[in-house]
Amino acid sequence: MLKSIQGRLLLASAFALGAASLAQAQTVRVSGFGGSDPAVVNGLLNDVLADEIAALGIEVEYAPTDGDYSQFILNALSADTAPDLFYTDIFWSRSIFTPGQAAPVDNPELAAALLPSLVDAFTYEGQLYSVAKDFNTLAVHFDKDAFDDAGVDYLDENDTWDSFQEKLASVQGSLEDVYGVCVVPDYARFAAFALATGWKPFNDEGKTVLDDDFKRAFSFYTGLIDAGAGVLAADIGEGWTGGCLGSGKAAVAMEGAWIIGYLKDAAPSMEYGTTLIPSDPETGNRGNLIFTVGWTVNANSDVKDAAAKLVDLLTSEKAQQWVLEQGLALPSRSALADNAFLMGDSKEQIANRMVFRGASEGHVEPYFFGDLGGAWLEPVNSALNAVLLGESDVETALSEAQAQYDALQAN
Amino acid sequence: MKKAGINHDTLTGWLFLAPFLVSLSVFFLWAIMRTAWFSLTDYDLFRTPNFIGLENYARLVSDDLFLTALRNSISFATIVTAIQTVLALLLAVLVNSAARAKGLVRTVFYFPSIMSSAAMTLIFLWLFQRQGLMTSIAGNVANLRWIILSFFALVAVVQVVQVTLARRKYAEVSLFDPFFLILSAGVGAAGAVFIRINGWLPVYEEQFLISWLNTKEVFLFMPRTLWSVALMNIFTTVPTLMLLFLAGLQSIPSSLYDAAKMDGATSIQSFFSVTLPSLTPVTFAVVTLGLIGTLQMFDQVAILGAAAPLESRITLAYYTYYNTFPPGGSPNIGMASAAALTLGLLTLVIVFLQRQFGIKERIG
Amino acid sequence: MDTTERPLRPLNVLRRRQLAVLAWVYFVFIGLATVILGTFAIAFAASLKDNPLENPFRFIFPQITPSVWITAADLGRQGAADPWWGGFAPGGELVFSLTYAAPAGVDLVTPEVEVPRRKPGSGLAAAITTTFASDYALVELTGTSDRFFVNADMETGQETRWLARTFDYKISYEAQDDKGVRVERLPFTALAPRTQTLLEATLPVTRMERRGRVASWNNIAPGALGLILNSYRRVINETVDLSTGDRLIFKWMGNSFQIAVGRVVLMIVLSSLAGYALARLRFRGVRLVFVLVIFSMTVPVQVTFISNYLVVRDLGLLNSNWSVIMVMIASVHVLLMKQYFESFPREIEEAAMVGGANRFQIFLHIVLPNAKPALIINAIMAFQGAWNDFFWPFVLVTNPPSALAMPVGLLSLRESYGGGQGDWSLVLAGAFISIVPVLIMFVLFQNYIVNNQVSEGIK
Repeated sequence: MLKSIQGRLLLASAFALGAASLAQAQTVRVSGFGGSDPAVVNGLLNDVLADEIAALGIEVEYAPTDGDYSQFILNALSADTAPDLFYTDIFWSRSIFTPGQAAPVDNPELAAALLPSLVDAFTYEGQLYSVAKDFNTLAVHFDKDAFDDAGVDYLDENDTWDSFQEKLASVQGSLEDVYGVCVVPDYARFAAFALATGWKPFNDEGKTVLDDDFKRAFSFYTGLIDAGAGVLAADIGEGWTGGCLGSGKAAVAMEGAWIIGYLKDAAPSMEYGTTLIPSDPETGNRGNLIFTVGWTVNANSDVKDAAAKLVDLLTSEKAQQWVLEQGLALPSRSALADNAFLMGDSKEQIANRMVFRGASEGHVEPYFFGDLGGAWLEPVNSALNAVLLGESDVETALSEAQAQYDALQAN
Repeated sequence: MKKAGINHDTLTGWLFLAPFLVSLSVFFLWAIMRTAWFSLTDYDLFRTPNFIGLENYARLVSDDLFLTALRNSISFATIVTAIQTVLALLLAVLVNSAARAKGLVRTVFYFPSIMSSAAMTLIFLWLFQRQGLMTSIAGNVANLRWIILSFFALVAVVQVVQVTLARRKYAEVSLFDPFFLILSAGVGAAGAVFIRINGWLPVYEEQFLISWLNTKEVFLFMPRTLWSVALMNIFTTVPTLMLLFLAGLQSIPSSLYDAAKMDGATSIQSFFSVTLPSLTPVTFAVVTLGLIGTLQMFDQVAILGAAAPLESRITLAYYTYYNTFPPGGSPNIGMASAAALTLGLLTLVIVFLQRQFGIKERIG
Repeated sequence: MDTTERPLRPLNVLRRRQLAVLAWVYFVFIGLATVILGTFAIAFAASLKDNPLENPFRFIFPQITPSVWITAADLGRQGAADPWWGGFAPGGELVFSLTYAAPAGVDLVTPEVEVPRRKPGSGLAAAITTTFASDYALVELTGTSDRFFVNADMETGQETRWLARTFDYKISYEAQDDKGVRVERLPFTALAPRTQTLLEATLPVTRMERRGRVASWNNIAPGALGLILNSYRRVINETVDLSTGDRLIFKWMGNSFQIAVGRVVLMIVLSSLAGYALARLRFRGVRLVFVLVIFSMTVPVQVTFISNYLVVRDLGLLNSNWSVIMVMIASVHVLLMKQYFESFPREIEEAAMVGGANRFQIFLHIVLPNAKPALIINAIMAFQGAWNDFFWPFVLVTNPPSALAMPVGLLSLRESYGGGQGDWSLVLAGAFISIVPVLIMFVLFQNYIVNNQVSEGIK
């Protein structure tokens, strides 16, 4: 009897020792998007933070995923093969948080250092589950050469929808081969106008109501083409407004800071300026969306503590300063708001500054639709598509979309 | 002795079958049973499933997206199968009198069918860009419509004149005589160019922008997006199916045709009385395989992705996947399973129906 | 019928009729072949272009112009002593000229030229590019020459005198402390006011930027193949696994190859055994198995996919090639093998049976070696089916990028390059690369495939 207890003790201490030795070289598996993002994360892991990570005794295994990232993460979580630390886009964050797949963030200091709106965005039932690594909003980027050649004043912060449309129409009118702005059937761009009117995607009862404010924005946005101020992106062989600007087919694009990297590649010589989204002439307000991605620790991970420490490092001031200077994303820490880099005068710095300011100007909503996820976007996007393609008029499209929302939110 | 032999055979038989049966039971039989069970639950890949009866089926019937998928699947399968079968049969009959298609020609015809659906869809996706090559071809045809019409009119006139003249000498000159046709086409082309140069007929300069894929327009029960996919499918399958029919045609004994001729049948009559009946087994195979293949259409829908609105491209097969891994939402395995079973049942019913009322396999 | 009353046809008329039918057959054949091959030929040509979506579609462009190939080869030789793949290496010295023109009287300004610091393409290429030609290139203006010419206005026909000035540049490689490396691309830009137009340049300009102010070349030392196959080189070199540096296209091919070989082996074992049992052995239940085989060919994979996904998941085999191999249902092959064995003469087996061999020995030593043609046909079908299979790899293998199968890899190419960035040439290049292995197999085994038309039509 005594012997067996001793034996157990021995076994237990052996386990403890084993665990301790394991802790010496903990491997944290990290995953994120593909595209140009791996360049940033790789830079952070191998250059900027290499010493700190080594000091923590953590080994990082980083495997970015091309293709449908949300499907990959859901698959991996359900299979229990998910990485210890992974990206969560606010857009589909609920499908991770609701089934309890995310480990809570127990780090009040870190939470306090982040921009409040980003903390709110990742808070579910009063608990923070992800640490925002960066964020983006929309801004207006314009080709200075096109405006110069057309003899039109540059866009600026004082522009309302009316003056915005007017300037674009004069550029398009006086230059043969350039359109004003590319219009895309995508809520992720149109929201900048819809939200400016004071409309909200979900009213107090949690329902989506496409009211008169929404309709006003909808008519303005879809009317840009008829007003001679824009063109449907697909009509000139482009998929997004940035592509139209980069290829010189449009004078203006409405995008986030991600356009900077693209323009460096597609139109490296372009002289462009950036300003805030124009304001609604009736409310005098701007609208904007916040896009953000956070680091989430896998709730079933064996190395949760190490992963949480790695999150601290990856979102540290040093890391964010470096990321910012690469011109690829904006810092999620409020302390970096009046960073010297953001105040610079190069075209990239101005663009970053305007995107940063976008988060606190007027009605700003996260790009997030509760449990509905991407399903919420379908009705509004197909209404935009139908009207822009001339397959439907505003009234019909909106009443169809409203009916779809009513059906979606019936239960 | 004999009885023992049977027993022995039975044991060996099952042993020989064992590897295949294991694979079939795990990945087919058990899978179907599990799908049936999931269709009665609220499973979401994470939590333990709860039994909820037929609720998923009730929700399916009231889900517009499901009904769209169902309509798309059925119309796609019937339209593509019908067109590709008829087209392949006609082409095979047209070229039948040649010796078997050999060498390079056959290789060329097989070429589309050896390509992966992914590579094929990407190439067509490029062709079907709103401002792409397909649009510019269609735009050119529309802008030059009068010139093109005048070309065909000239060809017809010259051909008729030539054939009439020739018929004075000997009676049996076909209206479609190919040697005259070459000359007629030459004259027609020269005439059309002449008309174009002199500007006798209007040439339009409209800019055409055609949404082949990104559209919600519905044409004849099916979204235009799926018509574009159908075009690609037909392009891929027709050459191969044609070769299938050709093999069938060449196995028809010529004595059958001779007999029909003796009875005074015209070539069109002998097509219906000899050719079609003899081709029944091949046609049965082509139609059945076509239906099964097109009802499962998934790859093209997935690869199209954001290039087309969901409701214009969704099929039942994709609906199943879409509910299993919804973008930005939680998996809905119950609905996915119910839809999958519906698709399976639909396939069985359609194949059964065509067996009963359509073309039957000839026994023996 | 009235035909009997007509005069007898002369022999040559009959002959003519036969020829006419033959001519029609060839018209149809040639027409069909043109449509099929033409589609692929045009798509292939487009995959060589810098921008396959350009409108209007040009049928003549630098990548298929022999005179440009020669220039490109010359420039490649000057840049890196490599006429094929070009580049910019220590010792490189290029001569590059630009000719600007303007109406006489307008000031012709010397353009501001530069070798910009530029990352090729978007996406991963940005992460893996560490060397830049701009760090080594020294650009000098070596001379100018003027000539006048008469330019007729396209619309009015009015003739004006224009001045054309050619600027010759020498771009030489300046290695710091002798540690120069070879750079794959040498980009080049020239900024000039819009009052003067770029008339010609040693190499055709890649694109104009800033509304005609900047002429921009992606690579002025491309080499002949570097010019023609630029998008192929890019899609191979720029889609890499960041942690290992492996080229993803080859990884994807490797995966597809493993899947295909695995499925072929599995298929041969399952279908030859089961096919033989169904064809030869009479036992209780054989009918039921046969019905099951037929039934399993009719049911769509989507019906079984959720359960199979879970089986694979629970075995911990997600994202492995094994998962895609094992979910195959070999019913079609079982059926084909059964048909083959039924036509196989019984006598040989019976002789062996008398000799005392058991069923399995007979199967292994007599039946199987004789079934080679059927096995080969089935193997080809299974290989092609597995290589082209999209659904299972799409569902079962999603991560990491190097684990994907070729068709799913193509989809990820489309997502990276076919969307906003619009590098369609890379997507098309990837598609064409993916066909190569099946094409080789097709050419090698053409007779087997073509002679087996019925089974081929099953896909």
